[in-house]
Amino acid sequence: MWKAIGHSIEGTSHTSSGKVCEDALAYNLFSDTAGNEVLVCCVSDGAGSAQYAAWASVASTTFVASTLTSLLNTEGNISVPAIYHVFESAYDLLENAAIEREADISEFACTMLGCVVSDSEAIFFQLGDGAIARDDGSGNFVPVTWPQNGEYHNVTSFITDDRSMGNLVVVSLEERVAEVAIFTDGLQMLALNMEQRSVHQPFFAPLFRYLRLADDETKLQVLSGKLKEYLDSKAINNRTDDDKTLFLATRGA
Amino acid sequence: MDEYISFEQIPFGSDDFADNPEPRCPCVLLLDTSASMGGSPIRQLNEGIRTFKQELEQDPLATKRVEVAVVTFGPVSVMSEFHTVPNFHPQTLDTTGDTPMGAAIAEGIDMVTRRKKEYKEHGVAYYKPWIILITDGAPTDDWSQAAKLVRQGEENKSFAFFAIGVEGADMDILSKISTRSPLKLKGLMFREFFMWLSASMKMVSAKTPGSAINLLPPSGWSEL
Repeated sequence: MWKAIGHSIEGTSHTSSGKVCEDALAYNLFSDTAGNEVLVCCVSDGAGSAQYAAWASVASTTFVASTLTSLLNTEGNISVPAIYHVFESAYDLLENAAIEREADISEFACTMLGCVVSDSEAIFFQLGDGAIARDDGSGNFVPVTWPQNGEYHNVTSFITDDRSMGNLVVVSLEERVAEVAIFTDGLQMLALNMEQRSVHQPFFAPLFRYLRLADDETKLQVLSGKLKEYLDSKAINNRTDDDKTLFLATRGA
Repeated sequence: MDEYISFEQIPFGSDDFADNPEPRCPCVLLLDTSASMGGSPIRQLNEGIRTFKQELEQDPLATKRVEVAVVTFGPVSVMSEFHTVPNFHPQTLDTTGDTPMGAAIAEGIDMVTRRKKEYKEHGVAYYKPWIILITDGAPTDDWSQAAKLVRQGEENKSFAFFAIGVEGADMDILSKISTRSPLKLKGLMFREFFMWLSASMKMVSAKTPGSAINLLPPSGWSEL
């Protein structure tokens, strides 16, 4: 069974300006009908300039995670076109919310990244910034996707940009992925070496070390609390004032 | 592993972060130091710039991210190249000469272009540059080329240009130069303006679709 912890924590700039957290995280760990241990995870970062960003990130992560979960249960696997289809449905969800509120869909701008990992295959998807990393089987983490930033650091793509999802990146792997980390842009300058386009190993090593050792629910709960504290710690807040989400998952022994 | 580990006691998380340079936000101040700014205006402007530095220093991330450069006119003179806040030491400005605004704008745009190239060469992420023009007069040189450069730069999202008119400024010409509506400073509220500018720059990291700039409402210091 998968073991996972993750949190979305409000950035200090949001706290000081009275804004709520606009990052969101939704995940499911389950055994599918064929007995595969499955991990479904979705992470989203609402655009700081969008009025309904907080609502949009929660609504779209919840929607995408639950849709992928039920799709997997009915279809048995998730194809690349299925990911596009789910993203289009997420777009429709946000568009309907925009119509209902008489707002432009850009007021619901948010990024979306995540994965569906089962025993012998995995599919990763990303639209916008943030990144996904996985273990390479030898204890190192490698990027699966990379932040999509434009010329400027605060400019990225959102699922609300176009319904055809021109910026969506989908990575499909026919192999057993054992560990996954997904994070939003609030952590990308800390967790990634931007120039070398690599994962900063010391960021993840101590986190996964204990996650692997957590062999019961109580220990996982302790780690979950510690992750929350860590994401809101001075060490992190001195380097980023943005909302940040970190999700970590490893297969149980 | 048989070793007993108390999960309550473990040090979870690392403070060993990737050594990425902090993303930068370049800001050029184009300051009119023509003779008409003499007396109280230049004193208040100097005071405002010192406030700007102090306000940015209050914010640990703005301190590392914002880079300020100062160009005075006229004559056009680069008083300070781009420096992060701790290394930005505002010099007390004196009034001199005429108002070669066109040349000053061209110089500011040139500085921003060069700076972006340097960031790229060093793998430094950056935010959209800001160019702030403050004047109490009208250009004494040909400003049509400068207006064209501003328009092109805004269209290409190369920078954001803001024009601030002090009492006596030719707001009509400013509105022909700047694609954003120029704002008129209320009295000599430079201090309030620079507090607004620093507060707006602190929000620079907020993610935006396209490359729009998030600004606070210019309340308090501008005549709207």
